[in-house]
Amino acid sequence: MEPEVERYRKPTRVLHWVHAGAFSVLFLTGLVLFIPGLGFLAEGGWTRLLHRIAAAAFVIAPAIYVPLNWTATLRGIKDAFNWGREDIGWALAAPRYYFFCDEGAMPPQDHMNTGQKMWWLLVLILSGVFLVTGLVMWLFKTVAPPALLQVMVLLHDVAFIGSAPMLFVHIYLSAIHPLMRPARAGAWSSMARGRVSRSYARSHHARWYARVYGTGEPAREKETEVLSR
Amino acid sequence: MAEKAILFDATRCIACRACQVACKQWNGLSGESTRNLGTYENPPDLSAQTWVKMRFVESTEGGAPAWTFVRQACMHCTDAACVRVCPTKALAHHELGMVTYDPSECSGCGYCVDFCPFHTPRAGRNLVSGMGKMAKCTMCTSPGLDRIGAGYQPACVKTCPTGALSFADRADLVAEGTARVQALRAQGRANASLYGENELDGLHVLYVLNDSPEAFGLPANPRVPATAMAWKGALQPVGWALGGLAIVGLALNFVIARRAKFSQEAAAKRRK
Amino acid sequence: MTNHWTDIGNADVILIMGSNAAENHPISFHWVTKAMEKGATLIHVDPRFTRTSARANIWAPIRSGTDIAFLGGMIKYIVEDIEKNPQNYNMEYLREYTNAGWLIDAKYGFNDGLFSGYDAASRSYKDKTSWQYQKDAKGIPVQDKTFSDPSCVFQLLKRHYARYDMNTVSRVTGTPQASLLKVYQAFAASGRPDRAGTILYAMGTTQHTVGSQNVRAYSVIQLLLANIGIAGGGINALRGESNVQGATDHALLYQYIPGYLPTPSTAQPTLAKYLEAITPKTSDPRSGNWKQHQPKYMVSMLKAWYGSAATKDNEFAYQLIPKVQAGANYSFIALFEAMEKGTIKGALVWGQNPAVGGPNGNAERKALEKLDWLVDVDLWETETAAFWKRPGADPKTIDTEVFLLPAAASYEKEGSVTNSGRLAQWRYKAIEPPGEAEDDLWIVSHLMDTVRALYAGEGGPNAAAVTKVTWDYGGVPDPSKVAKEINGYDLATGKLVANFLSLKDDGSTSCGNWLFSGSHTESGNMMARRDPKDNSTIGLYSNWAWCWPVNRRIIYNRASVDLNGNPFDPKRPVVKWDAANKKWTGDVIDGFGTTGPTLYPFIMLADGVGHLFGVGGMADGPFPEHYEPWETPARNLLSSTQLNPAAKVWRPQEQGTPDKYPYVGTTYRVTEHWQAGAMTRNLPWLAELMPEMFVEIGEELASAKGIRSGDRVVVESARGQVSAVAVVTKRLMPLTVDGRVTYTVGLPWHYGYMGLIKGDSANLLTPYIGDANTTIPEYKAFLVNVRRA
Repeated sequence: MEPEVERYRKPTRVLHWVHAGAFSVLFLTGLVLFIPGLGFLAEGGWTRLLHRIAAAAFVIAPAIYVPLNWTATLRGIKDAFNWGREDIGWALAAPRYYFFCDEGAMPPQDHMNTGQKMWWLLVLILSGVFLVTGLVMWLFKTVAPPALLQVMVLLHDVAFIGSAPMLFVHIYLSAIHPLMRPARAGAWSSMARGRVSRSYARSHHARWYARVYGTGEPAREKETEVLSR
Repeated sequence: MAEKAILFDATRCIACRACQVACKQWNGLSGESTRNLGTYENPPDLSAQTWVKMRFVESTEGGAPAWTFVRQACMHCTDAACVRVCPTKALAHHELGMVTYDPSECSGCGYCVDFCPFHTPRAGRNLVSGMGKMAKCTMCTSPGLDRIGAGYQPACVKTCPTGALSFADRADLVAEGTARVQALRAQGRANASLYGENELDGLHVLYVLNDSPEAFGLPANPRVPATAMAWKGALQPVGWALGGLAIVGLALNFVIARRAKFSQEAAAKRRK
Repeated sequence: MTNHWTDIGNADVILIMGSNAAENHPISFHWVTKAMEKGATLIHVDPRFTRTSARANIWAPIRSGTDIAFLGGMIKYIVEDIEKNPQNYNMEYLREYTNAGWLIDAKYGFNDGLFSGYDAASRSYKDKTSWQYQKDAKGIPVQDKTFSDPSCVFQLLKRHYARYDMNTVSRVTGTPQASLLKVYQAFAASGRPDRAGTILYAMGTTQHTVGSQNVRAYSVIQLLLANIGIAGGGINALRGESNVQGATDHALLYQYIPGYLPTPSTAQPTLAKYLEAITPKTSDPRSGNWKQHQPKYMVSMLKAWYGSAATKDNEFAYQLIPKVQAGANYSFIALFEAMEKGTIKGALVWGQNPAVGGPNGNAERKALEKLDWLVDVDLWETETAAFWKRPGADPKTIDTEVFLLPAAASYEKEGSVTNSGRLAQWRYKAIEPPGEAEDDLWIVSHLMDTVRALYAGEGGPNAAAVTKVTWDYGGVPDPSKVAKEINGYDLATGKLVANFLSLKDDGSTSCGNWLFSGSHTESGNMMARRDPKDNSTIGLYSNWAWCWPVNRRIIYNRASVDLNGNPFDPKRPVVKWDAANKKWTGDVIDGFGTTGPTLYPFIMLADGVGHLFGVGGMADGPFPEHYEPWETPARNLLSSTQLNPAAKVWRPQEQGTPDKYPYVGTTYRVTEHWQAGAMTRNLPWLAELMPEMFVEIGEELASAKGIRSGDRVVVESARGQVSAVAVVTKRLMPLTVDGRVTYTVGLPWHYGYMGLIKGDSANLLTPYIGDANTTIPEYKAFLVNVRRA
């Protein structure tokens, strides 16, 4: 077994999966209202009830996580909004990298690669739109002027349309794309078990690996040596 | 089949509210707990229990009082915003033209409430769970209470003592309404109008008015809201396109990337 | 009604006055709308602009209580127009069918509000001998068909209403002169022989101290316009309850026994004296004088009541039936005053709610406390049944034993309902009444059975009156049996009579109510007929149910044809004389069959003609004269006699004056509620429409008082106060009366302290005073003050 490094702590992973589960429910129950043929599934209001339950989870989960993981959150925010010239390099290399698996073309990436940073930005923005429009539709249906509610519905749908491709890309890249595999050592494992193989870490997030492990300085993340059998 | 409609003649209405009571009796709706807010008008608004109501509008004409009575209920539009936005098809067009509604299919989403240009549908729903049903006049085509299907007139029409309400083929009522409006104009009511002839591609509730629609509190130019058109007309196709594009793109990526990976691995193997 | 509901659709002009027909008789408006579709003009005269006014072509405001001034002005207008433009009127009708040209006794006079023969001490016209015709040697009234003799009715009419010029009328009524003229012109236009004008009225006309004369004014106008007896015409009372016509026909009024025969009094100690009093005489061969037959009806009725115990030898049991004290007043107000004094110890309150519907509500509720026992028969525990626990009452101080007998509703029992058009329609039982509720027939029958058994066992005053009455309805009384008894029998053969022509005064026939003779014959129950085919062109529907008398749909219909029997209006023929076959076609002819067109049309009057001048019949004068309501902000501008001189004043100490109560208060009904409110205030679908007691106040007055719509206000009179929600409206206009601005506020009287929704009763404000003839209370005009609560 190859030695591994920890990518994500347990609280982070819990948050991810709760959020992923909630979002999936939100997505599917929303899809029912989007695809005309599936509309009948909404009869009786049960899918809407599920949507609300999932929405509550979607909002409550980070609300619990953030205060309990303040340092990690701050660091995550720092990572996510740390834009620089190397992001252009990622963009230039991305077509060759993702389509032709040309790892050599990709400059070294940090804990969060550019794609992941873009992802974070979109998640925050779209979640914000979902949150605001959703809250208005949930709580203020009888008091808000119809024109406002109409705009809320429209924007909620815009966010939905934005997040659907993002969902597809996210699942694809984390579980299916050849460069992120094998599952037990790659992207999937990073969020399922928290750890990836050292070679994966070195090839996908070289800058982060070098900073944390390469210089022999005390690691921020624990290195887990799994001795070969 | 020839489309049907209701004709409301405001010049014959005596605001007796028999229509309000007949609708509640037929549809098994309850009386609401109300207060007198300084007017004869009650209940103060349409609701899940009140599908039709009369509005009382006081004014003066030539120094003498005037009192106008306006029916407020679903207008049964041909281009119905509610039908456009209803995700479950609980709201749909009946073959006779009215907008019918099956509560068992309603999801309680309330989009119809948001988008109706006449603000007619009302949803009574639980604030927490969101469960609830929309309610509106179905021109007596509600499942299990279908008067039209049984060959009867809507309950409100049947009970109206003065014939202010009539129910017949829409084309005939348009002709009748037009003739009455012409007669009113000949009597000096210059702004008399037949409301509903062409609005929203034609309403199935037509109003003979002895003044302009605005004088009766009716929107002069009701439209399906632009947001609904944007949502269902523009956004929906964009959504399909983006989603489709994403999936196609990812599939393409998978095919190409996997082949690239295999050939890399094969090359690496050959080098060993 | 002289005419009937469907007939309203035949009118060219409809005057709705003293009525809010659209709100309180909405189904009637089906016919008003039909008439208007054909081009009819609707005129509405009312203190308020109501839902009726909203549909009217002409609306004129009027101060409540000034109808005679308004109508007197119309009479003056018509009389002058008849002189100027006789071609626009039916002069033949006026000459031949009214007493316009008949001469009145020279001793008749009118001076400053009083007619000749007035006795101030008794507040009555003790001597009406001057209100009679001059007669020739044969006893036939003298006529001047040129209408020029100064003693002729037409000239007397003209002189009497000379004071009612439009300027004066406007100052009294508050109606702008232009509005008066518009109304007068529009209605007078129905005076042409080919035009029909109808008057629809209700409590706004009758509930005044001059209420009966208000209706008399309609008679004068309709006779001048030749509108009586024709299709689309007539004087049409919109009765206030679905079967109150039936109730009055069967004499639930103190001054009548069934069939509008007068209640026997101590002034008629024998049957002979009574029969003489009810048999008018005439020597005019052209007068049908139908009341000459009343002895047959009275005797037949006594036979129906006492059967074999009523014989020629015992005056057909006349001595057994109770008599009223001659001259005494047994009206509604009188009953409650008697309760208050302890004279009346027990009361059966049957399908009525005086605690809400009676005038001077506080006094009536207090009077109930004096009763030893009260039996309340109703569908609900009403305010009257619960008077002893009303807000402010202490049950411990009230000794009345109250029995509440639950009664069946109209769909839970079988029987006839007689509507305003005299049409008796038989109805069937649709469902069983709930719980222990029973129909009225069952209740009254068993009650009487029990009372009879007690009298039979214990005796008592005039016991025979109770024990000898024919009372064989059994355990489950059959309404058909009662209907047949009402129709009448030939006692020799045991067969039902065909109509009242068969009734005799020798005891060989019986009949419970001559008016309804013909309603349930050997051919069957005529009231149950439902043939919707109309064989006329004027909506008679003569085979639908049955109306009295003898299914005559339009009464006085002989007045619709000329002296040759040809209809004045061929487009709307009611009857027509077929000279060849010596018979009448069309509606059932007045006065019967073979008599050709020479019979005077007004067969119920001894002289046979319509009374422009009322010869001796009314308590307060042969011509309607304007007097102010008992409580009024204005002085009488037509004479110095302020109040109707023949109206009884019951509690002078309770009269409100304008200094403390400056505004005119009036009460009325609304579509959404029914009478005293038990039926509608207990029904959620109706309760939600009008959930609270309210008062309508005009914008100007409200603004002056700082009252906004929706505010809670207090309305007070000299007798009580009510709390109500203010409905501030444009529809109550200030009126300029005698140069001063007068405000009216209006209150619906439907609310009380019981039921699903409650409210204060408007009748806590209304006065203890009534019409001079009927004592119907003056609910429509009194004085109040208004303030924010």
